[in-house]
Amino acid sequence: MYEAVTATPDGESTVRRFAATAARQGFEGIVVRNADAADPALDAAAVREAHDVDAVDATAVVADDPTEASGPLSEARRAHTLLCVRGGTPKLNRFAAEEERVDVLTKPMAGRGDVNHVIARAAADHDVRVEFDFGRVLRASGGPRVQALRGLRKLRELVEQYDVPYVVSGSPTSHLELRAPRELRALGEAVGFDAAQVETGLAEWGVLAERNRHRRSADFIAPGLERGRHEQER
Amino acid sequence: MKHLPKHLRPRWRYLLVGIEAWPDADVGRRDFQRSVWFAAQNLLGDATSADADLRVLAYEFGDGEGEAVVRARRGYVDEARAALGCVDAVRDDPVGIHVRGVSGTVRAGEERYLGRARENSAEEAVVFRNATAQAVSRDGLVDVSSEGGFVGATRADLE
Repeated sequence: MYEAVTATPDGESTVRRFAATAARQGFEGIVVRNADAADPALDAAAVREAHDVDAVDATAVVADDPTEASGPLSEARRAHTLLCVRGGTPKLNRFAAEEERVDVLTKPMAGRGDVNHVIARAAADHDVRVEFDFGRVLRASGGPRVQALRGLRKLRELVEQYDVPYVVSGSPTSHLELRAPRELRALGEAVGFDAAQVETGLAEWGVLAERNRHRRSADFIAPGLERGRHEQER
Repeated sequence: MKHLPKHLRPRWRYLLVGIEAWPDADVGRRDFQRSVWFAAQNLLGDATSADADLRVLAYEFGDGEGEAVVRARRGYVDEARAALGCVDAVRDDPVGIHVRGVSGTVRAGEERYLGRARENSAEEAVVFRNATAQAVSRDGLVDVSSEGGFVGATRADLE
């Protein structure tokens, strides 16, 4: 199971500190949402060596509208293992859901964000994961938390209806905000998720990372063109 | 009041909890208990949080690190875990909470999950991101003080 974290300077802990805490709590790896800023030369092998967890470099495209978001997309796709687009408005959500290159649509329900059947279906068709963000359930209270829960519920119903792929995250910005998989599972159950859903969502980050690493490996001569087993070295 | 015969007494489960905070945090037992109750009430509501009946039985905290034993009624362990996960700060100090294990007796749980030999923390000056700063380190983990508070790092992040 993986957790997607925001490291310094946007967060309050370094990648390695996250890795140390994540390892102790039983995660298999962490996804660094802001790898560009936090650690451009992120060395997954060294992190694994020191803390026995995987570290995945990711980037999050944050923009106000689709036009602005589509610019950096190609470069971000090329440079990183995982590509997230931060949702938050219906237009952005729809744009991200219809973009094959995007791995994860994060925080779709934050702010004025909303998801409807069109976006859900598009995400399912284009294999874009939507994120269940537990951050505000974990760390907010009162009105904002109720709104977050309402958003999660709506998103969950759509995800179940249209079989949309999804990821789950507690969105920690420091190692103190990191919560173990079992805690997240218990929390998920308390707010209406299945234990299996939360586990699938946490594991999905790892599945994505593995798939993309394979795609970016030397086995792929060009996008969609893989060196097969039948080809012999001559 | 005379206490209940044994077969009528409630059955408990004990959650062995690790607590982590920044080095300057002062997290007292009462404040921690209050935070646990608030978290349970906010997440689970009055009815379920009363059923779960969370209580901090043993508590120890110092130098930004601590341990606690939290009691919950049997059958409410998942609810207790969820509520503990939602404790994100005690007063104004952010805390990290990790349920290390669950046990049927306090003694077995403490022996198994608590009291890990910890190194004492040390204050030192370090170079982090091309700047010298004061830091508190323990076990290869380093909390570097910066303008806005602390930054969590490890020995390998320093220069």
